[in-house]
Amino acid sequence: MKFNDYRTVFQVSSLALVLLAASPALSLIVSFPSGGESFSELWLLGPDNVAENFPFNIQAGQENSLFLGVSNHLGNSAYYLVSVKFRNQTQPLPNINSSEPSSLPSIHEFQLILADGDVWETPVTFEILDASVEGGSMVVKSVSINDRIVQVDCSSSWDSEDRGFYFQLFFELWIYNSERSTFEFHNRFVGFWLNMTG
Amino acid sequence: MAASSISEAEGWMAKAYEAVLDAERVDADVSGLLVRLNDAAVLLSEARMAFDVGDFEAAAGYVESTSEVGCEIVDEAELLKIEAANARVYSSWIFLAISVVGVSVVVVASVVGYRFFKRYYYGRLVKMKPRVESS
Repeated sequence: MKFNDYRTVFQVSSLALVLLAASPALSLIVSFPSGGESFSELWLLGPDNVAENFPFNIQAGQENSLFLGVSNHLGNSAYYLVSVKFRNQTQPLPNINSSEPSSLPSIHEFQLILADGDVWETPVTFEILDASVEGGSMVVKSVSINDRIVQVDCSSSWDSEDRGFYFQLFFELWIYNSERSTFEFHNRFVGFWLNMTG
Repeated sequence: MAASSISEAEGWMAKAYEAVLDAERVDADVSGLLVRLNDAAVLLSEARMAFDVGDFEAAAGYVESTSEVGCEIVDEAELLKIEAANARVYSSWIFLAISVVGVSVVVVASVVGYRFFKRYYYGRLVKMKPRVESS
């Protein structure tokens, strides 16, 4: 090797060592993107904490249970609100395409704050308290969610195709927007159908 | 018990959450505050639901507790934020000092090493004797 070759090796290795020595200070001004997708999850599990045996054929006075879960993968702590709603087959669901929540009133809510990567799960019990058939329709007057009684006054007509009176209990996920100082629909909802024929 | 009391508690809750977020952004350890913030969130939910069904007495109690916890969290998050910011400034100075010393050592060692090597290389070259080969 000639002297110039040695000099080049010397310069390159010196530069690498300088960068290595300067790395503590460089880390203060150079930030690397954390990468990965940021999202929130919302799910329902059946009474055995697995995705089966969801309540379906139910009767007034019968207690039903399930599990509701939320997880945060947004990269920072998030303030969530889960709004519980009850509807018949014709009442509106949230519209995911236009990010619009259902216009129905909330019958129960859960508020929670989750650190990034955290998971929250809670048992939910519900019961149809007062239901009766009136003029060919099933009218549910009140339900109980986690031992809290709520008036719903929701009626469902007989579904001749699927042979039953159908209602749906669904859960909307909302998130607090600190820039607008308000909760916004987070474009996620889960629910399940209930047949009140029995 | 008026709806404005619920709004006030919601305001405290929002302030508390934003204060915790600010503290989190400067790498403060907010895990303890998040637990208490969750407690306040549960109280606020209870207040809103009690208010909706006309149980104003219970709602008032929950509202008071929410506002109290929210107010405490705002103060504590502010302190944590200041502590974390101070710690960050301190560690920045340490990092800067380490880098300055490290770079200086490398530069001096490189210059000295380069001169030493250059002298050694040319010294060896000078000592080399030309060899004449007969054809």
